[in-house]
Amino acid sequence: MPTRRFGLLVDMELAERVLCVLRDIGTKASPEEISSVAQGLQEEVLKHVDSTGKSRSVSEEGARSALVVLLLESCKHQLSTQEVSRFLNEQGWTPRNIEAWAKFYNEAKGSVIQVLSSLGNEPPSVVDASWKMDVCLENSGQSKVNEPQWLISLKTLSQTEAFPKDLKFFCKKENLADLVAKLRDAAKHQPEQEEAQSGGGSEAAKSPSRSRSASPASRSSRSGSRSASGSPPPKSRSNSPSSDSEGEAMRKKIKKKKRSEEEEDEPEEEEEESYEDDEDDEEEDRRRKKKRRGAGFIIDEAEVDEDVDDDEGDWEEGAKEVLAQNEKEKGPSARDIENNRRLQMMWQNEKEDEIENYYKMKYADVEEGARHFNDGEHMTDEIAQQTLLPGVKDPNLWMVKCRIGEEKVTLLQLMRKFIAYQFSEKPLQVQSIVAPEHVKGYIYVEAYKQTHVKQIIEGIGNLRLGRYKQQMVPITEMTDVLRVVKEQAQLKPKAWVRFKRTVYKDDIAQVDYVDTAQNMVHLKLIPRIDYSRPRGALRQPNQEEDLKRKKKKRPAAKLFDSDAIRAIGGEITNDGDFLVFEGNRYSRKGFLYKNFALSAIVSEGVKPTLAELEKFEEGVEGMEMEIAASAKIGKENLAHNFATGDVVEVCDGELKHLQGKVMNIEGNTIAIMPNHEDLKDLLEFHAGELRKFFKLGDHVKVISGIYEGDTGLIIRVEENMVVVFSDLSLHELKVSPRDLQLCSEMATGVDSLGQFQYLDMVQLDPQTVGVIVRLEKEHMEVLNMHGNVVRVRPQAVTRRRPSRNAMALDSESNSIQVKDVVNVVDGTHQGKKGEIKHLFRNFAFIHNRQYIENGGIFVCRARNLQLAGGTKVRIFYFFCSLASFMIAGPMGFMSPRIFSPAHPGGGGAGAGAGGGGVGSMGGGVGGMGRGRGRGGSSRDRALIGQTVKITKGPMKGHVGIVKDATEAIVKVELHTNCHTISVDRNRIEQVGAPSRAGSTSTYQRTPSYAGAATPMYGVGSRTPMYGSQTPLYEGSRTPHYGSMTPLHDGSRTPGQSGAWDPTVANTPARTELDEYGYDDPSSPAASPSVGAPYTPHTPGTQYSSDQPYSPYQSTPSPQGFQSSPNPGAYVATPSPIGGYQPAASPQNSFGSSSPSPLGYSSPLTPGSPYNPTTPGTALDLLSTQDWHSTDIEVKIKESYTDSALSGRSGIITGISAGMCSVLLPQDDRTVNIMAEHLEPVTPSRGDRVKVLVGEEREATGQLLSIDNQEGVVKLDSGVVKMLQLRFLCKMKPSD
Amino acid sequence: MFYHISLEHEIMLHPRYFGPQLMDTVKQKLFTEVEGTCTGKHGFVIAVTTIDNIGAGLIQPGRGFVVYPVKYKAIVFRPFKGEVLDAVVTQVNKVGLFTEIGPLSCFISRHSIPADMQFDQSSNPPCYKTQDEDMVIQQDDEIRLKIVGTRVDATDIFAIGTLMDDYLGLVS
Repeated sequence: MPTRRFGLLVDMELAERVLCVLRDIGTKASPEEISSVAQGLQEEVLKHVDSTGKSRSVSEEGARSALVVLLLESCKHQLSTQEVSRFLNEQGWTPRNIEAWAKFYNEAKGSVIQVLSSLGNEPPSVVDASWKMDVCLENSGQSKVNEPQWLISLKTLSQTEAFPKDLKFFCKKENLADLVAKLRDAAKHQPEQEEAQSGGGSEAAKSPSRSRSASPASRSSRSGSRSASGSPPPKSRSNSPSSDSEGEAMRKKIKKKKRSEEEEDEPEEEEEESYEDDEDDEEEDRRRKKKRRGAGFIIDEAEVDEDVDDDEGDWEEGAKEVLAQNEKEKGPSARDIENNRRLQMMWQNEKEDEIENYYKMKYADVEEGARHFNDGEHMTDEIAQQTLLPGVKDPNLWMVKCRIGEEKVTLLQLMRKFIAYQFSEKPLQVQSIVAPEHVKGYIYVEAYKQTHVKQIIEGIGNLRLGRYKQQMVPITEMTDVLRVVKEQAQLKPKAWVRFKRTVYKDDIAQVDYVDTAQNMVHLKLIPRIDYSRPRGALRQPNQEEDLKRKKKKRPAAKLFDSDAIRAIGGEITNDGDFLVFEGNRYSRKGFLYKNFALSAIVSEGVKPTLAELEKFEEGVEGMEMEIAASAKIGKENLAHNFATGDVVEVCDGELKHLQGKVMNIEGNTIAIMPNHEDLKDLLEFHAGELRKFFKLGDHVKVISGIYEGDTGLIIRVEENMVVVFSDLSLHELKVSPRDLQLCSEMATGVDSLGQFQYLDMVQLDPQTVGVIVRLEKEHMEVLNMHGNVVRVRPQAVTRRRPSRNAMALDSESNSIQVKDVVNVVDGTHQGKKGEIKHLFRNFAFIHNRQYIENGGIFVCRARNLQLAGGTKVRIFYFFCSLASFMIAGPMGFMSPRIFSPAHPGGGGAGAGAGGGGVGSMGGGVGGMGRGRGRGGSSRDRALIGQTVKITKGPMKGHVGIVKDATEAIVKVELHTNCHTISVDRNRIEQVGAPSRAGSTSTYQRTPSYAGAATPMYGVGSRTPMYGSQTPLYEGSRTPHYGSMTPLHDGSRTPGQSGAWDPTVANTPARTELDEYGYDDPSSPAASPSVGAPYTPHTPGTQYSSDQPYSPYQSTPSPQGFQSSPNPGAYVATPSPIGGYQPAASPQNSFGSSSPSPLGYSSPLTPGSPYNPTTPGTALDLLSTQDWHSTDIEVKIKESYTDSALSGRSGIITGISAGMCSVLLPQDDRTVNIMAEHLEPVTPSRGDRVKVLVGEEREATGQLLSIDNQEGVVKLDSGVVKMLQLRFLCKMKPSD
Repeated sequence: MFYHISLEHEIMLHPRYFGPQLMDTVKQKLFTEVEGTCTGKHGFVIAVTTIDNIGAGLIQPGRGFVVYPVKYKAIVFRPFKGEVLDAVVTQVNKVGLFTEIGPLSCFISRHSIPADMQFDQSSNPPCYKTQDEDMVIQQDDEIRLKIVGTRVDATDIFAIGTLMDDYLGLVS
């Protein structure tokens, strides 16, 4: 060392001088001199007395100084005597002098070192330590991620500081290990030093006076060191000599030139002295400890150099001052002294602010220094992060294309290459190479230059693609390369996964639960246990050999079989519901439940096969549900049913329960605008993390599920269920929120079931009808006429056309019909009120909004009802009119009954086109009746081309030409403008035809009387009166009765006219008919019978037309007429008066007269639906009656729209409720015709027949003979029976 | 909530009414046509208070009808979500209460009736009542309810209400 080190420590110039002096001493002085000087010197040094010692033979001052320096320096470096001798030898000392110095040095060394060590410029000692562990999870730089860091805080106390200081720094694991190792080292060295110390101590103890005397030195040196406290805290001992010598030098100068100042300083020192004295011993100990602790700890090699530099600087500073003696004030010590003084002043002046400032300044400075020392390691994370970001000086990243899937292999290859070249002449200059997990087909090379990249990738096959082009990653994007993309595991319980490896490779498993924190997933799977390998006690010694062979073979997947396990000696223990075998848990059902690493399974796109699903049994139905669920999940993944504008709630993740509105949907990613005051930006969520959110009172629509299409108001919201109060059915629906959507419109009767609508009437089976009270996706609920709700599939029922003419009688024998408002006066629904929606026979389907069940629909028998409101009045009026007829005379009143039915018939037959046409127009009733018959239709045609005038409605008064006419509507081309409008037939009258002047009824009647009719015509003058009357009736009646009107008109109007018109009453024919009239008030039934007697009388007239019977439904069968006089019917009406009331309600009278409604209808049956005289109810009965059967001959009625077919006969080949397939033999084709357009063909003698109604329905037989209206049928069963001819139908000719 | 607002309506008049009483007829017709109706926007028209202006009638070509545009003021009743109203119970059953608030029918689901009130089928008439029969709601009772949702059709408004709030329930 010596020179160099010396030189380093001391200013070279000074060193030169010192050395020079030393040389001088060595050569010139005698050993005695030296030793004596040295002796004194030692004393001086120890006492720290001023250098103004006695001068010796050698050049006093300088020599002393030089020797002092020599002594201190060599002590400081703990040089051995030899070293010192050698050094002195080098300096040209005489051996004797050297010897003398060596001897002296040897003696003085120990005490000097001790004194030096007690000087203040030692490193601060650690008094306390605390630490905190941190883990950095995310970081723009890859390196520190997931590595623990320690924030260590050391509380240090330096001698110069009154307060402990915190020393904070971050360190990584390695650093920490280093630190700990050093601490340990220090602890190990402690005993040695202790020894050394104690050695020193003992020496000191030997001369207590000396050690005592040392204290002032230490004190003063301390004060000197304190003067340096403004500068960075000293860290190593190596500091001490410099500052010491510095202090020494300073002291000399200061003493000389600034004595006054020194004196000022004195009091303070005195104070301190007294204080220090008390604790002297104590402190001594402490100091020693501190020193020991610090010895191996804070000082480390790395810092020594730095400190050396510092020292040098310090020294330089000090030395300069020593040398340039003018600038005394500027030295740190001078400043310090001044500071001290100032402080003193401040204390005296009690200027708090100044004191505060002073300390602030002082410690702020220290802080800064400390920060500097810590090298910014405790800077805030953010800033630390920033500094880690790559800058322009850092190497660049180059993106190199690589063969996909080979990235990692390539990486290893490159690493080998790099290592191989590392120590060659041309090492590869690449910093690093990265292949991020999520990047496919690229690797990143970190290098300064592209050529370096090219070098390393040269010759690597996998990188051939990237050989020509390497793309540099912009600096700003470099961090993104290594950004860890948070992959959200979309693994949910119940999901299916497959194994990637292990013995279960490719096996299917079901997720039980997922532990994302551990990256584990708990799976349920079918175990693969080797049942052939014996276990436990049965294990054989040669087992191991087999093992290898066995390993290759994969045991079959099979449910856990505890018996089999026991058979091979395996041990099974129980753990709750599980069986444990070889550490694995098996459920009672035999499934293995086990944890697997997420990496060991494939979770995407796993679709279990059906066979696999079956293995996972759990009962088939459970499975189905799961399949459905998984299918749903699958579907959901494809197309969740969120829509823009939906209000949603986050149901998973950190933002759970946050509400928002869907703003944007991209596949499964849904952007929502959170409904939160602090969140103003769109947030993106996975569809699975959201669920729809609804509030009480929202109006929603069900968009899937069994209630699809229904709408309603939300009356309850629960976790996974919403109760919706349906708008339509007033039902409560329980729906999953997922299936709902906010909507404003209201479901208008779901027509999602094609032809069916809410509240439609349907045919459940031939005898039963019902009303749809609820439509669901695949089912509908039908309230049948017995009041039961049945659930049917739409395919199972057929829709019934609303029967316009349906009519029934209420408890007061008022006729009621659809849309009437009724009160329920009896039965289960007594007291309710509602509107009739449908009528079927005597069942009424009534709608009441307030009735909750079945959407407000209930069913009642008609006779339990009572017509509400104005209808009664009408009836009353009706009675009045009837009463007036009665007054007119029994004949008069009766005649209508008798006549009316007959008249239309007659009219049809006799009058043909002309008269009939008028009738149809004016009468409405009669016309209608006729219209249905064939004759009627011809009349319709007759109407075409006529000029008519519209009599009612908004177009009243307009005149036009009939362009087309159907039974209900005529199309009229107006004269006024070229519009063709449709007008109700009741609202027109013919213009200009003389015949039409009279009312329909009169006209109708006349023809039927043929010869007798003439007088009627004669009465033509009177007709206007009727004409005027009719409208009156119609006015009041039509709106109410609608379809019923024909009935009344048919039966009554003639009667009225008869009543009013004496001539009518006088008609010769009538007298004969009177009897019937009396007997049969319920004209409709009687009408055919009336016809019958006539038939023989007026064969000519009646049958003269082509289709004599056509006006009547009965016409096709002449027998029908004959059969019509049904005795029962007559019996039913014993008194004309009694007959009157029933007259209003034909059905009622029928009901009483004969036990079965069928019976009634039957007399009328064949023709009745078309019989104008038949009341609506009768029509209804007939039309509803299901007589249709297969293999019977039928005739297509006029009513059928296709006129080409009407009148044709065919054979029913099949019936599907309401529709009949009719084979037309002539054309050899089959057409589908509504049942009501068909009528049976009456058989003739000898025909094969089928019974249509009654007990024997569907029975077949042969018609042996015809007896009046009855046929003698020999049934196939051999029984011979008399049956109503109209109950029979001709069968198709057998082949 | 009730409003007094200006509305417009067109009255179509048959020519037969053309005569000295024409304007009276128009007014009369306005009353009959407008009062008691309901529109989704304005709610139920309770009463016409003043007729501000009857415009010039326009004869409809080809028909003879005359159309009068009428401006009038009327009191309308428009229910709102959250509104508290008094209602008369019209029906009590297990799904809840049906009530009427003047022209407005309102349904209170059993889910919206405090849980301590149970439906009692056996009593006559059926009612909702608390265990101690402290509060019994049956038909024709007056209750105070809060509207939680309305369904507005073109010609009708239907509301659902709740009793689950302070001061709701029987008004006595």
